[in-house]
Amino acid sequence: MKKRILKGKTMRNLEGSLFILPWLLGFMAFLAFPLLFSLYMSFHNVKVLPFQMKYDYVGFKYFKSILFESSALYDSIIPFFQEAIVMIPVILVFSLLIAILLNQKLRGRMLFRAIFFLPVIFSTGYVLTEFVNQGEGSLGFLERYELSSYLNMVLGDSSWTNPIKQVLNRFVLVLWFSGVQIILFLAGRQTISASAYESARIDGASPWEVFWKITLPAMSPFILLNLIYTVVDLFTYPFNPIMDLIGNGQGSYGYNSALVWIYFMIIIIFLSVVLLFYVRLSRNRSGARR
Amino acid sequence: MKVDMRLQGKRLVYRFEDWLAAVRRIDRTQIVIIIGLTLLSAFMLLPLVYLFNHAFKPLHELLLFPPTFIVNEPTMQNFTDLMALTQTTFIPVSRYIFNSVIVTVLATAGMVFTGSLCAYPLSKHKFPGGNWFFGAIMVSLLFATEVISIPRYVVVQSLGIMNTYLGHVLPMIALPVGVFLLKQFMDQVPNELLEAAKIDGASEVKIFLRIVLPLVTPAMATITIIAFQTAWGNAETSTLFMQDDAMKTLPFYMGTLTSNLANSVARQGAAAAGALIMFLPSLIIFLIYQRKFIATMAHSGIK
Repeated sequence: MKKRILKGKTMRNLEGSLFILPWLLGFMAFLAFPLLFSLYMSFHNVKVLPFQMKYDYVGFKYFKSILFESSALYDSIIPFFQEAIVMIPVILVFSLLIAILLNQKLRGRMLFRAIFFLPVIFSTGYVLTEFVNQGEGSLGFLERYELSSYLNMVLGDSSWTNPIKQVLNRFVLVLWFSGVQIILFLAGRQTISASAYESARIDGASPWEVFWKITLPAMSPFILLNLIYTVVDLFTYPFNPIMDLIGNGQGSYGYNSALVWIYFMIIIIFLSVVLLFYVRLSRNRSGARR
Repeated sequence: MKVDMRLQGKRLVYRFEDWLAAVRRIDRTQIVIIIGLTLLSAFMLLPLVYLFNHAFKPLHELLLFPPTFIVNEPTMQNFTDLMALTQTTFIPVSRYIFNSVIVTVLATAGMVFTGSLCAYPLSKHKFPGGNWFFGAIMVSLLFATEVISIPRYVVVQSLGIMNTYLGHVLPMIALPVGVFLLKQFMDQVPNELLEAAKIDGASEVKIFLRIVLPLVTPAMATITIIAFQTAWGNAETSTLFMQDDAMKTLPFYMGTLTSNLANSVARQGAAAAGALIMFLPSLIIFLIYQRKFIATMAHSGIK
């Protein structure tokens, strides 16, 4: 038996730190340090010499040239943002809906669950890479499955053809992006006890009211979680246009690092706007309930 | 015999009637939901069907535009092509597979283990700087590792783990998504439960292993899949940190098969077969873990 020399609290803190330590070391070495290093590089002109790297300080030169002297960043980022703003709410609402449906007592719901979780292994892995490789860099789903020609046949060339195609194209993307979100929502939904629903039913609440008054408020930590996850997932997706721009980097190391950090600042701003909006919204809701 | 047949027929009829009754018991909204979900599932399964069919297409079907969905004349040609291709390379493909298996197992275990260890104090211990640390994790979430490959190269080089398995595994270990998800889930575990365990004299390790981990099984299963995906599909560490060809992994090798598509049409088929082979382990892991995703949450006593 080990003698207890330390006070309980110190002991606990020590144990906590020991728990964190292995991950922290990896984090420091392979994420935190490289990130700071790339920040350093973004202010320098990096030259690769045979046995070393040489860094010449250039100040904000790269930042200036990316932000003010070319439109390459804006050309790819603005359409991407438009798409993201449409897609994020759609992904969240869709996955919440599916999660609630999958929580119902249905015939064959285990099968449905398995199928709807499948995108977890599409979106992060090799499969979509393969898709993108074979589809000339886009997820041209409609063309691939000849749906496009069917659509043309059915709709003729009315003005509706294009919007419908767009929506369908997005829709499939939404499906494939929502695997993890559905799991998180479903797990969240199951933390709500059945007794809350039962008492609501006894009090004569309609399903609609139950959803707004019980399900949604209880799910709000998970909505926040999913919101962040979705934003991060979309913005760090290897095939999004900005990542492409960074990856293809014709510029020097310093230039690319500056691009990375500018992109990062943009994501941070976007994420904080979204979070602010979310907090405001949920505070209003909880204020209204009281 | 005849009586037997009749009996069996009767039984079938009964069974059918039972089934009909069961179907009738499902109300209309359920039917609508099931039909809706079935339609959506069809969309969900498309990539899977495509992938499987693609691997068995003969060359003239592979190159059709627009690509077809279902294979017309299935053939094993692509797989034999792939085998033939692998025989021409200097290093046998089994070496790549071996490397991949080792790296994936080590890295997945490492990511899940260190990630859950780290998430627990972050969620349940209040210690100075904890919020800042979590903030740092959130920030690092926003960077894809692809964009910081050069500094990572410098780190790996100075640690002297180039061309070793450690060079594959260590850079992948810190998976911010994992800590982030697990921490959010552990926040939902009631503190009273942990207090009770502490009063009963359970050590931190015991609380972690016996109480917290079982309660966040869905998150653990999700993380395991994500970690597996990350490790199995990762060609980055091979490209950057391994100069020795014998230390590279399967995704890198598959990448080299597809990368010179422009000058070799014939490799299309082998690439499609390779894609299927790359995908199968993911599918298997997924099928093993998918039940765990949500199975335990309902009976966990959370809330």
